[in-house]
Amino acid sequence: MNESEKREKQEFLIKFSKSSSVSAFRKICSKILRKSRCAFLDAEYKPVKCGGECDHLKLGKYLAKLKSNPLREYMLFKCNCNKICLSFPIIQGSSVYGHVLFIHLNKEPRKTVMDSVRICMDLVLKEFQKERELNKLYETIRPRAIALSTIHTIHRLLSSTLNMDELIERIARLTLQVMRSRYCSIMLLDESKKYLIPKAVINLDEEIPKTSPQYKKIRLGVKLEGRVAKTGKAVLSRNSVCVPLVEEDIIGVISARDKTNDAPFDKFELEILITLAEQAVIAVKNAQMYEEQEKRAYGSIKTLAALLDSKSPNTFTHSDQFVKMVLAIAEEMKLPREDIANLHYSALLPDTGKFSIPDEILKKPGSLSSTEYDIIKKQHLESLKIIEHLEFLKPAIPIIRHHHERYDGAGYPDGLKGRAIPVGARVMAVANAFEAMVSARPYKGKKISISQAIKEIEKNKGTQFDPEAVDAFIETTKKPEFKNMLGASA
Amino acid sequence: MKTVKNLFKNEAVRKILLFFNENPNCIDTAKGISLWISWDINIIQKALNQLVEDGIITSHQTASTTAYAYTNNKEIVKKIEKHVKSML
Repeated sequence: MNESEKREKQEFLIKFSKSSSVSAFRKICSKILRKSRCAFLDAEYKPVKCGGECDHLKLGKYLAKLKSNPLREYMLFKCNCNKICLSFPIIQGSSVYGHVLFIHLNKEPRKTVMDSVRICMDLVLKEFQKERELNKLYETIRPRAIALSTIHTIHRLLSSTLNMDELIERIARLTLQVMRSRYCSIMLLDESKKYLIPKAVINLDEEIPKTSPQYKKIRLGVKLEGRVAKTGKAVLSRNSVCVPLVEEDIIGVISARDKTNDAPFDKFELEILITLAEQAVIAVKNAQMYEEQEKRAYGSIKTLAALLDSKSPNTFTHSDQFVKMVLAIAEEMKLPREDIANLHYSALLPDTGKFSIPDEILKKPGSLSSTEYDIIKKQHLESLKIIEHLEFLKPAIPIIRHHHERYDGAGYPDGLKGRAIPVGARVMAVANAFEAMVSARPYKGKKISISQAIKEIEKNKGTQFDPEAVDAFIETTKKPEFKNMLGASA
Repeated sequence: MKTVKNLFKNEAVRKILLFFNENPNCIDTAKGISLWISWDINIIQKALNQLVEDGIITSHQTASTTAYAYTNNKEIVKKIEKHVKSML
């Protein structure tokens, strides 16, 4: 029997002697065999410590007999003090793992009793085997299943954002969490593919400002991160682990350093980081594609705005300040990112609806006649057809269409009321009215001061304007950025 | 924060802490955690909220998912680890 075999049998026997099924077996047998005590011998006939063993293990002749001719059946014998004992071999497969002894029996048991104990013993062994299998599964499969579930959760967390800054920060935080490390950095290759640019560096012990050396770009091949990005091979060392972000080509690296419990990183953790990097790279690629798409969309809208502006300056588009104000109110209201993006598109083209309104009505000073007002309402809808073919502008159309609605239902084109008006339109209505009051639009009435305009907006809260949007607007005006937002009008 | 001993008096909290002590790398939803420790999800959710407030569990939130992970605070982790060992 070699060393590992010996160790395996010993381990088996120790666990077996301490298992719950054996403890029940011992109790039953002590009743069947009348107050006998129980002990275990290993395959080399040495006593196994199992907590409740008998110290009377001077087995004398029995041991000599057993050693010279190992029996595979139960055996009755007399110990050194001439008392009756019974032994059963513990057999697994074809080998004997040890022996269970019942010591100092009151009298010699009948064969039927011994057979019952033997059957009982076999059942206990089978039960114990099942227990072992289950434990093995628990020890090997459960951690992997938990790791898999973790990766799945990470995938869900990463795929829920397309904002690159938010995404990179999230990847870094999740890496710290999963790796149990104090430091993590995410670097992406620049366009020249010669440098790694740190996008997020987190140290749990101190905040790292973007101006710190940790945020300096690294040349490919230099330092651990540079080497990993160059070779595309993950590196595991005692205190750090660094893996490449690979999607066809290498796009960057994730590295983690210094475990919170000061233990070394192991292969299992490297495996987890590689899997996390695989999830991260998909999310980063999606965010990059979304950014590019967004840039293209803004480009198209700006071109359209410039075209409209060339027909009649400042009629169909508003100032940059207006756009900033719309976005500031939306941020204050904590609108979802997607809604804010659509609001941004709408704010760039707020008055596309005026496109087919005749100039004499559009630029008429003072109030409009009911016929002129009807023309405006009709043409407003007609004009929106210009942009409805642009797929990415579709979610913005309801905002543009309804930003002349009033909260009390007295607006146009559909007379929508309260929350039936899209939230973006409610926000834009406030910013639009404010801008009209404080700027000198040729077709509007007299320009009024900023404080008067704010009071006017507040006065119409709940009637013309959504109270929530007005509150957010008032909050925005209290912020220091408000003056910058107003630019020349301030 | 309650003392570790007091925290362990709540059965759901005890199960969550034992789970994270054994699997500190895990990040999972309340549903996932309740499955791993075979406990009612509503009770687990309540216990997780409490542990987040106490700074023992970190939550990662997005619009559609809230995931929970063990704190990276070395001192807290050590205290819990010590208590778990003393229970054995």
